Amino acid sequence: MTGFSKLGGRTWIVTAAALIVLLVVNTLLQHNFLEPSVVQSNLTTFLPLVLVAIGQTYVILGGDIDLSVGAIVALVNVVTVTVIASLGGDGMAVGLGLLAGMGVGAGCGLINGLIIAGLRFQPIVTTFATSIVFSGLALWVLPQAGLPVPEPYWRTYAGTILGLPTVYVIYLVAFLLAAFLAARPFMTRLKAVGGQRTAAFQTGVDLGKLRVSAFVLSGLFGAFASLCLTGETASGDPLMGQSLAMSAISAVVLGGTALAGGVGGVLGSVLGAWVVGMIGSVIFFAGLPFEYQTLVQGLIILAALAGGVLVTRR
Amino acid sequence: MPPVLRATDISKSFGAVQALDKARLTVERGEIHALLGANGCGKSTLCKIIAGTVGRDTGEVLIDGQAAALGSPRLAEEQGVALFYQELSLVPQLSVGDNIFLGREPRTALGFTDRAAIVRATEALIARVAAVAGKGFTPDARVADLSPDQRQLAEILKVLARKPKIIIFDEATATLDRRQVEVFFDILRELRAEGISSIFISHRMDEVFAIADRITVMRNGQTVAEFAAAETDRYAVVYAMVGETGAIAASVRDHAPLKGDVRLSVEAARAARLGPVSFTAQRGEILGLGGLQGQGQKALLSGLFGAEPFQSGRVVLDGVDVTARRPVDAMAHRIAYVSGDRARDSALPGRSIFENTAIASLVRERRHVIPGAVFRERFSNVLAGLNTRYAGLDAPIGSLSGGNQQKVFISRWLSPSPGLLLLDDPTKGIDLGAKGDFYLLARKLADEGAAVIIYSSEDSELLSLCDRVLVLNGGVVTADLSGDRLTPFDLTRASYGDAA
Repeated sequence: MTGFSKLGGRTWIVTAAALIVLLVVNTLLQHNFLEPSVVQSNLTTFLPLVLVAIGQTYVILGGDIDLSVGAIVALVNVVTVTVIASLGGDGMAVGLGLLAGMGVGAGCGLINGLIIAGLRFQPIVTTFATSIVFSGLALWVLPQAGLPVPEPYWRTYAGTILGLPTVYVIYLVAFLLAAFLAARPFMTRLKAVGGQRTAAFQTGVDLGKLRVSAFVLSGLFGAFASLCLTGETASGDPLMGQSLAMSAISAVVLGGTALAGGVGGVLGSVLGAWVVGMIGSVIFFAGLPFEYQTLVQGLIILAALAGGVLVTRR
Repeated sequence: MPPVLRATDISKSFGAVQALDKARLTVERGEIHALLGANGCGKSTLCKIIAGTVGRDTGEVLIDGQAAALGSPRLAEEQGVALFYQELSLVPQLSVGDNIFLGREPRTALGFTDRAAIVRATEALIARVAAVAGKGFTPDARVADLSPDQRQLAEILKVLARKPKIIIFDEATATLDRRQVEVFFDILRELRAEGISSIFISHRMDEVFAIADRITVMRNGQTVAEFAAAETDRYAVVYAMVGETGAIAASVRDHAPLKGDVRLSVEAARAARLGPVSFTAQRGEILGLGGLQGQGQKALLSGLFGAEPFQSGRVVLDGVDVTARRPVDAMAHRIAYVSGDRARDSALPGRSIFENTAIASLVRERRHVIPGAVFRERFSNVLAGLNTRYAGLDAPIGSLSGGNQQKVFISRWLSPSPGLLLLDDPTKGIDLGAKGDFYLLARKLADEGAAVIIYSSEDSELLSLCDRVLVLNGGVVTADLSGDRLTPFDLTRASYGDAA
């Protein structure tokens, strides 16, 4: 067994192939596609989806699903901008705003996890319900889009840290975090929980703790995604990120993680997120009329999913 | 030195059923201890109590002379008790090594999983069974890619890796072939040499005498005998399992079997863990399937009905090939199936008695519209004939007692009456009165010419109801008992694969 197979099945091969095809097509459509500045701008666009997909991977590996990340993104965004604005908008306020946002994200995940693992509710219904609650809270915190964040926030996001573009630093930190978790017993146990719950239980694995941890991670990565989106839009928006949950689930599945749980990994999800992102940009640059874009995007994702499933089944 | 395990006065009830009644078990350090008894004697419950998966009502368990708290599997494991599960504790998506060390992964100084240590330790464990491990049994192999017997080995290794004082092996050899059983026994002997004790539940008498040092026999929730294996023989053990050969309830069986022609013949039927099985059943005969639980009886019945089709073989009823691929094929040939697991196999929960009764006729007669009046009259008559007590055909099925529910599920198959009636432990959990009605009904259907095949986990039921009993052990028929040989002694002996 090679390290690659830990990505999960063979689906990731299809996804990697799709990624290469999309790279070629994009290069043909946009002649400056491979210029560093364009690469950076594309990676910036994809970053929120990548982050949400990483978080979602843990939940799905554990055999659950989190439909509420989109709403968490919105709630984190409005809480962060509100905290920053009410504390006066200086550097201290930005720092506290970021912390508040991450706290909200982790807290939302904790609520999801406790309801699902503790009260044994169905994850798909529960997170659908909590997504409505989180959206409602976001509208209550900030009824209308607006409330700009101070300049240093978005300047830092678009700028560099220690000579590296901030976006790349965030990618790096996210990868390190994922690598850290992958090397801990946590990952094996989580796969056991998603793979064969009774077996994990009989072996004495603490199911509840692991499932709650996965939801907290999903909420936390949702918060990271939200803070990045806030860096891009530079303002509050209670309707932000609505399509992220579904796109992230597509990305995770494209990356070879089984929806049933137990098989897969974060690296595949990152590839999957890039594929989903690039499908969007191919359609845009191919000059397709706006009204067809969503339809074609859906069909391409469906085709990519089908390819992965067919390869795995063989 | 105190014995490694001493359990005394253990009692346990599940609802009204007394599973254990002051049972006891003593296991010395470094011995292989066989625990024997007929179905439902309480041996599994006793093991579960020792392993912490079931709580006890009363009694005391001492481990190394100390009172042991066994509130959960984890607590039991901390005190040195490990239970061997049959494939249930492996995660198919994970590798062999990850499975063996799941929950107790060796770690590096930084707290990361020490993969090298897992591979090393797993290789050392695999080396102990290298002779039978077979191809592809490596620390990195995914459990899903292993063969069934390799999974069993992985399960054993997982238990060994915990270095327990006492290991409970419940039917550990069920899926192993002869050579693998030898290796398994070598492992047990090696453990014995290391001072580790094993509690060994097996359905093969040969194995028990090949490996066990001492034998404890249970019957009806009580410990009835303790033997040193070297100082006893299999007759004494079987007698202890059966007890005083009780009077057989002769009322139902006391009639001359019809000298009928052969209605059903099964030729070389095979399924997973079953077969090849060949037998015939005569017109008017009630044929029992006996043996310890899980020896292929249920697989045989669901194969005949097409619910889990046979992989090969042929079934002929009245000269017509009725080998079923799907239940609807079987139904077309008037084959009926009644399961003891009513909630899983029979009930349409929340629906009315009428709907629960009519469902089979709807399928068989290819009805798309329910002929309400016709069916209502038909099933009212059928249910009345079965002595069923119910408020009305529109009452929900859940409003009935277990026994009356079972009558409803049987009534499904009675118009027209079946040619072959398959009964899968049908009286499980129903009261005595309903059981009596049920026996009479089975006898009546047989007398009317149906072939009836019944599997029961209660030997007394088979002995009182059946004209003939096929005893299954490890998926094959090991004995065909009828007439004078249909006794508790012969049945128990044959159940343990000890056919005369």
